Amino acid sequence: MYNDKNAQTIVEYIQNFTRKNSLFMLAYGTGCGAIELPATLTSRYDAERLGVRGAATPRQADLLLITGYLSTKTLKRVIRVYEQMQDPKYVIGFGSCTINGGMYWDSYNTIKLLDKYIPVDVYINGCMPRPESVIAGFKELQSLIAAGKADGAAKYKENLEWYRENQKKVLKNWPLVEYNW
Amino acid sequence: METSLIKEELLAQQLQNAFENIVTEAVRKDTVFAYASKEQVSSILLYAKEKLGYKSLAHMSCIDWLESDEFELVYIIWSPETKLNLFVKTRIDRQNPEMENMDMIWRQLNTYQREIREMFGVEFPGFVGEKEFILEDWEDAPPMRRDFDTLEYVNDTFFEREGREDKQDVRERIAKRSGEEIPDFAKKYSRE
Amino acid sequence: MREKSTTLYLGPQHPGITGNMMVKLQLEGDTIVKATTHVGYLHRAFEKLIERRNWMQTTTILCRFCVPEPDPPEAAFALAVEQIEGREVPERGKYLRSLVLELARLQSFMLWYAGQSGSTGLYTVGQWSVGDRNYVLDLFEELTGGRIYHMYIWPGGVRRDIPEGFEDKVLRTMDYIEKRIDDYDRMMFDSAIFQKRAQGVGIITKEKAMEWGVVGAPLRGCGIGHDVRKDNPYDAYDKLDFEMGIFEGGDVWARARVRQFEIRQTISMIRQLIQNLPSGDYLNKMPNPMKWTIPAGSAYGKVESVRGEFGFHVVSDGSDKPRRVHARGPAYVHGVSLLEDVLIGQNLADVSFIMNSLGVCPPEIER
Repeated sequence: MYNDKNAQTIVEYIQNFTRKNSLFMLAYGTGCGAIELPATLTSRYDAERLGVRGAATPRQADLLLITGYLSTKTLKRVIRVYEQMQDPKYVIGFGSCTINGGMYWDSYNTIKLLDKYIPVDVYINGCMPRPESVIAGFKELQSLIAAGKADGAAKYKENLEWYRENQKKVLKNWPLVEYNW
Repeated sequence: METSLIKEELLAQQLQNAFENIVTEAVRKDTVFAYASKEQVSSILLYAKEKLGYKSLAHMSCIDWLESDEFELVYIIWSPETKLNLFVKTRIDRQNPEMENMDMIWRQLNTYQREIREMFGVEFPGFVGEKEFILEDWEDAPPMRRDFDTLEYVNDTFFEREGREDKQDVRERIAKRSGEEIPDFAKKYSRE
Repeated sequence: MREKSTTLYLGPQHPGITGNMMVKLQLEGDTIVKATTHVGYLHRAFEKLIERRNWMQTTTILCRFCVPEPDPPEAAFALAVEQIEGREVPERGKYLRSLVLELARLQSFMLWYAGQSGSTGLYTVGQWSVGDRNYVLDLFEELTGGRIYHMYIWPGGVRRDIPEGFEDKVLRTMDYIEKRIDDYDRMMFDSAIFQKRAQGVGIITKEKAMEWGVVGAPLRGCGIGHDVRKDNPYDAYDKLDFEMGIFEGGDVWARARVRQFEIRQTISMIRQLIQNLPSGDYLNKMPNPMKWTIPAGSAYGKVESVRGEFGFHVVSDGSDKPRRVHARGPAYVHGVSLLEDVLIGQNLADVSFIMNSLGVCPPEIER
């Protein structure tokens, strides 16, 4: 897909090429899916050959993995972390519970639809997703980046009010930072 | 499978002798129940810990009996010598739930009491511990009570992915997309 | 110079924290004077959901209580239900249960090797042990269909029999892993960095251990030998020949030695289980699972997980849904009150090191 150079200028093409091959993933295990990440990153599956590796702090990270269900208490921190991350930034929803609540569909403490609160570029389904499907998710994200279609962060800036409205529906008594990008 | 419950009967008898007005029962292997009133629980636990060697607190739990308007508190303690589980059970009023604070007997009761206070709204007078344990900014009724309807709360608070209610047959859409035919035997399971 | 007091929030987003939780630290220099744990970031309201599911549907929820080692919750729940119902488990079912529990313990030990050594900067051990852990997960996948969540242990036995040729695969994997463990030990226990970091750090005294409710490897690291598998034997453990690792000291080093000893015991137990596997039925079948009711009563089922005693208090009111299921994971005690006590006086750099050695696992604290 990224051979179609007519769609992008050469600068964008090079930019996207470099971005897709160095995805630094934030080390934040928000849910139980985090147990498959060590397996994904170590010798057998070795995601580092795709350029995916861990980053300790949000400022250094490009990729936020929401590994599974998100309780409302974690959602606050995730929003904060996501807004601290610098562009370019991408989000992967990991596991069925980020897509539609999964087996927690009637739980009072987990959110059901991740993309109402933060923009999601790629979803990986399964409970829990195998390392192969995690890697397939990374590849999918890479092809989206190469095509210039992973624009979740831009969407978030454009529709900040809409996202804030949704976030405030769940998060009570919580100061959400007002940004003026 | 009736096995002899000698150790269990002995413990039940010991407790029966030491306290008036309690009912003990050797239920099955390794398990003895003691039903007591709210005021007696702390003295039973202390007696079992100091005199009978039930040094280890395994568990504390709360059960909501909505029908009889009561909360049941269960303390499960374990002895390294006899290896028995002793359940001390008591029932408290559901309208004004209060229980004696016992975190000076076992340090980890602090955690259990914090959870039960938050999840059931049972108060422990004199208990020091942060109010919020698991939940944050929770304004509704204590969530583990039986009359708290979690599904209703979910419908009020969270979004639901479309496609769950409209009950479309996904197979037909997939079949249309991929150009395959749904076999006849599968059609009878169609939702329409 | 006067030392200044600082408040530091460690987590929930921190690479050293074992899971999604937060420790608020009060520091003088870099010595901790007060620690407060904040949990609840992983609360999924399992116990509320179980009240809405019937007995059979509960199995899918149970394994998710504790992510690194998902089988002990299933076994503890099954034991409690069997106690209430009086359901007998066939001999083969008991052996298969123990086999799965020991395999789960093995893979959890290998994950612990990675966490414990990774928090001192010895990343090689983690690369090796987590890579080799995939071989155990492959066995699980063949047996149960899932790598992480198995839903294999049911009240009354296990879900399915072992596939053909499975015994040989298990024995071959054990031979391989046994050789590899020596490599991990050379990298980790012979390393001066690890020895210096671990000795005398995070001490739990013998007197306080029982009172604080310490269980599992931390308790045996204090020189007190209690193990549910020995004390209240369940499944096939009364027929197995194994020893508890009991070490004196109560520090991180002693706890690491306990685990180093017990991972070998686990491998020997898996061999024994495979060699003595009886033939016969593997499941004492329940009636139609959708209409399955359990007589009224309550029970406490407990098993020894890799971090300590894992118990389930199950209450039934005679209907087709559980009245109340309350889990007590080892981390429930270790991760909240005990951690707050142990961290006092320790160095800031040792926090994640100590958390790893206590086996703090947030999903089973808040459930």
